[in-house]
This record gives sequence, structure tokens and C-alpha cells, in this order.
Amino acid sequence: MRPIKIMAASGMLGYGFTEKAFNHGLSLGIDLIACDAGSADPGPYYLGSGTPFVSRIAVKRDLSLMIRGGTQEKIPVFIGSAGGSGSDKQVDWTLEIIREICNEQNIYPKVAVLRTELRPEQLVSKINLGKISPLGPIKNLNEKDANQTHKVVSMIGAEPFQQALEEGADIVIAGRSSDAAIYAALPLMRGADPGLSWHMGKIIECGAQVIEPREGQDCVIGTIYHDYFTIEPGHPDRRCTRTRVAAHTLYENPSPYELKEPSGTLITKSATFEQIDDRVVRVSGSKWEPSSTYTVKLEGVKKLGFRTVFFAGTRDPILVSGINNFIEACQTRIERDSKAIGIDKEDYMLNIKVYGKDAVMGANEPLSDHNAHEVGILVDVVANDQDTSKAVCAKARYSLLHTDFPGRMCISGNLAIPFSPSDLSAGEVYEFNIWHIMECNDPMEPVRMELIIPNDPPKVRLNG
Amino acid sequence: MAKLHELAKVIRSKNAGALLLTLDIMFDNEEAYRTVFDSGVLSPRKIASLYNLSDNQVEVIAFEVALAIKITIPRHTTAGSPGDSDVYGAQQHAPLLDLEITSG
Repeated sequence: MRPIKIMAASGMLGYGFTEKAFNHGLSLGIDLIACDAGSADPGPYYLGSGTPFVSRIAVKRDLSLMIRGGTQEKIPVFIGSAGGSGSDKQVDWTLEIIREICNEQNIYPKVAVLRTELRPEQLVSKINLGKISPLGPIKNLNEKDANQTHKVVSMIGAEPFQQALEEGADIVIAGRSSDAAIYAALPLMRGADPGLSWHMGKIIECGAQVIEPREGQDCVIGTIYHDYFTIEPGHPDRRCTRTRVAAHTLYENPSPYELKEPSGTLITKSATFEQIDDRVVRVSGSKWEPSSTYTVKLEGVKKLGFRTVFFAGTRDPILVSGINNFIEACQTRIERDSKAIGIDKEDYMLNIKVYGKDAVMGANEPLSDHNAHEVGILVDVVANDQDTSKAVCAKARYSLLHTDFPGRMCISGNLAIPFSPSDLSAGEVYEFNIWHIMECNDPMEPVRMELIIPNDPPKVRLNG
Repeated sequence: MAKLHELAKVIRSKNAGALLLTLDIMFDNEEAYRTVFDSGVLSPRKIASLYNLSDNQVEVIAFEVALAIKITIPRHTTAGSPGDSDVYGAQQHAPLLDLEITSG
């Protein structure tokens, strides 16, 4: 088997990379350029609203270079978890950018679009077959939960990317995808060792995290040989270190030894890491345990309502010293004042956090009896509609500003309010209600594939 | 006697998905790693008491090849739900910094 060289352009599409690294990488003879574009870390809003958390300008810059490189070297370009959460809306957003690039570069690549959003009805039939189970501490999914779901995506494995290549795709743009699968798909297809392919994918998916010096995102290259793989930076003046590469499986994973993928589990327990020169680390010994059932992770959100927030500070030492009792008194007053305008306690969720006290860690804060010289107060109201959340937030603001407390001298107002308007509408609010795994009959079951030439109007539908 | 932040190079927290939080303690030399690991201070019981959990909710994993110790615990609130204070889970490491490590 000839070595397979894969370049991860960046840890996140739109976070950037240097042209020097990219061009040097290309000069080494690359088989695939790929980039992960997603993460669930920014929270449920982005999946719920279909909004990207990276700017269009930044995504277009990265994609333009990747597509130009792909055309020039006649190699495929893969994007996984398009738009951040991989919902259909975010895939379409990315596709529109690709269309613009194809027009600008006057190229006609074949683009495979892999949509991975599911409909609540699809979940219900899987629930009835007992094919959905929790992934971690979350309750079992029932039919009612499925029907309350606003958006749900399945995280696909390597096989849909492989099918897209078999259909002749030059560019693959996928909805929610396993980060490692984007990079493992091609080596697996060419018969590379699965333990090495998945481990290499897992390491390069975060881009420059394994590179020193750490100067922002950049390209990283994984090369798979018969019984080991190497990791090196794209940039000729940077280096990968053994410690960084070895430590990488710690990042954002519950365990560094076992990494679950749709078709099996990567076991890194017996992996060894060697620094073979200044810039390159060699990894071997990674194992793969195929699983008997094919499972995809599901990420889903339900809509909770609308948010209004208010933020202010207090510099009054008397108020700061009794802030907990004061907040409690205000909570009671907000409830009473809201009720007086016809809004019941059940109609909204109110959270008040005191920065400078325990806002970051809540009940886990070990220093909660310390007093700062000033504190910040954040009011967060979520209700079914924007007007209700605004009304409760206004009551909260009034109450915090004017409620009396023992020893009060600052009777014209308790708060320093930093802006006008003081109450800010923060739009729709979502919550993760699905964090489960789903058994599939085959890897393409949760995927809708479409092959298009973005410069060419007629579409060819391949897979329903 | 030393504090954990005097022996470790990295003490960080981060989401491991929307439901779990993972705390990584990393060292730049084997001696420091050994001192902390052998002290037994980073036990599920100790971590549970710092994070208001029960012992069986805490997993402590030694990752010697990277001179690291990983702790995985459930989040108190699903990431980004109302009431959550740290959507990325990146600022939940502070209780570990001053842990007293008794060597030998």
C-alpha cells in the first residue's frame, strides 16, 4: 500500500490557516484536503436556529483556498458538520458559498451533498423499535419528546463520504459528521488499517492543536503507512511534538482510551508515540474494535421560548455584603409584581446570577463567602413569547434597582446600569433534548445524498 | 506538601459533549505526575466532594503516555440550558488548583 497523505486545513472551517502551510502541504503530494466545520460546544441555539457561529467571510476565505487546491491537485475536498451543527439549513448556507466560489473560479466540480437532519417521525419509528438509547446521563427518548423536537441531526460515519467518492464527487459537503470520519474515510476505502485510520483522523481533526508554537489555527498532515502513521504540521517552520500528539485524545473526550464511532470503537490503550525528527511524530499500535450494530449519535433540540437579559453592577459595600438576602427578596418581589400584571410563575424561567460571588460555579463555588468590592448582576428571563420575557425582565430590573435592604443609604438606585436600552432581547432559546444513539440498518439510512454541479442548474437526485 | 497548581502544567475543564464535563490535569515531567498520581488525592471521593456529586458519578483515568490525569463528571445543567453558567464548560477547574498534594 502506498502511503496516504491527508491534510486537515484547519481545526474549524473559518478559523483560518496560513497559505504558507497550505501550499507547503500541497507540495508534499496530498490525497485529500478536508476540514471539520462543526461543534456542539457553542450550545443548542445554533442547531435550533440554523445559524452558523463562524462568519461567512471567514468560511469563504478558507473554502476558496481549499477548493482551489483541490482543483489544482485533482484531489477531493471534504467538509463535515457544515455550518456548525450540520442542519439542512446550515448545509445549504455552505453550499451557497461553494456555488459563489465555483462561479468565481470558473470551475465545475461535482459536489456531493450529504444531508443528515432527521424528521421527528423517523425518530418515532426508531423509538418504537427500541433502536434509540441515551448517550450519557439523559432520560430515555419517548414519542412525546421526539414530537417536541425542533431540529435533530444524526452524526454520520465514514461510509457516506466513501459512497460520495464512488459516485465521482470532487467535493463532499456533509451535515453533522463524526470529526474523525471525515479524515478516516479515504484511507479506510483504500484498505488502510482501521485503528490507524481512525486514530489519525481523531488527531488531525482539531488542526493546529498538536502544533508548536501555538499561533492560531493551521494545516496539519496525517500520513498513513502500513503499520504506523505520522503527524506533521503543514507549516515548514512549525513542529508537532510527541506530548501534544499523545495528549490530543484527552481533549473533549470522556476517556482518552476508547473513542466510539458509528462502526466501532478506537482503542488507543496500546498506542505508542515517537518523535522521529523535529517536526514529525510517529504513532503506532492503535486498535479498532468493529461493532456488530451500526449506530449514529443524535443531537436534537427543542424550543423553549424567548430570552430577555439585563446586566448591571453594584458598588455599594452594604448591598454587596448582604447580596444573597437581597436577591432572595427581589425574587419574591418579581414573582408578586409579575403576577400583578397577569404573568404566573409557571409562565417564565428566571435566573439571577451574581458575578463576583458565585455566578461561574454556582453551588460548586468554594469561596462563596468572600466579598468583592463590586459585583455584577445578570438577569436572564425565558418565556414562551418575547413580550412576556420582556415584561418579567422589566419587573426584575425595577425590583433590583429600587428594593430596600437593611442599612440602605443609596436610596436613588441600587445599580449602575451600563447601557440604554438596559433590557436586551436575546431571541429564541433552545435546549438539547436529544443526546442519544440510534441503531441503523445501514450507514446510508440517516443520510440523504444529492449530487450537483453548483455552476450548473439541473440537479440529479441519487438517493431519496 | 505542594498544591496541585504548583506541580501541574495544565489544569483545564471542558465539555465532553452536552452532558459531561471533563477535567484534565497535565504534567511536564514524570516525577510531578507520579507524585500527584501516587498521592491518591485525585480520588473519586475527593472530586465528588468538590463538585457536589456522589463518588460513583466520578471517573478518574490515568493517561500516563501523555503524563495526564483525566476526570470526567456529569454536568449539573445540560450545556446551554437556562440556568447554565458555562456553556463550554471551560471555567470549572478552579476547585482543583489549591488541592494539597501530600507526597509519599
